[in-house]
Amino acid sequence: MKMRNVLDPFQAIADPSRRQILMMLAKDKQSINSLAGNFEMSRPAVSKHVRVLYEAGLIQIKDQGRERLCELHEDGFDEIKNWLIFFDQFWKGKLQNLEQLLNQRANKNEND
Amino acid sequence: MQRDLVIKWFFPHPAEKVWECLTTPELISQWLMKNDFKPIVGHKFQFHTRPIPKMGFDGIVYCEVLEIIPDKKLVYTWQGGPKPGVIRLDTVLTWTLTPGAEGTTLLLEHTGFKGLQNYLTSIFLERGWKKNVARRFTKILESR
Repeated sequence: MKMRNVLDPFQAIADPSRRQILMMLAKDKQSINSLAGNFEMSRPAVSKHVRVLYEAGLIQIKDQGRERLCELHEDGFDEIKNWLIFFDQFWKGKLQNLEQLLNQRANKNEND
Repeated sequence: MQRDLVIKWFFPHPAEKVWECLTTPELISQWLMKNDFKPIVGHKFQFHTRPIPKMGFDGIVYCEVLEIIPDKKLVYTWQGGPKPGVIRLDTVLTWTLTPGAEGTTLLLEHTGFKGLQNYLTSIFLERGWKKNVARRFTKILESR
């Protein structure tokens, strides 16, 4: 089994064809050949997209007989998920600070 | 596809007061982070905070002011990474203020996580992966 994470996952998912590949792999693991059957583009072009997803750590590739099977790699999505979850909490906390600051300043003006 | 994190917040205060807190460096540092913001389109500034090595973030947010409509709208870039010169997080913050009779509604949009919500959500739902994370994730997306 091969797995790497050298490419920015955000960049990897920015491309619509690659998102489509991920969606297909979400249903079931597939060989590069069977993936290519779903696209108008050439097999080498599909293979290139697969490579990018693999280098971003979003999929795994296993050799099975003569076929190369692609499969989603769950941990690869963690960076994206983590940032979204992180910022959701982060901003809610900061907006609470802002609310406090606004209240303080309004009270201060009243007392002036 | 670009709208990723959207948070709405209501303040029982006039829009000008909220705007003041969004655009005055001393005030920004009181509720958000230390900064050298200036309300000038094209101005480049930074926020400084604690690094989060686990997430490949060195504690410096690099920003550039993109748009200013006084008391209404403020847009700036929000970039960060593990070390100077390496940007992993390339996003945009949009603050929109809507005045009302009782106060101001602030809409915060943190975008540019490059269009992942729809298909990622369905991936999680379809696979039933890490149920907890999927739920939290979906919740974030639904709060848009």
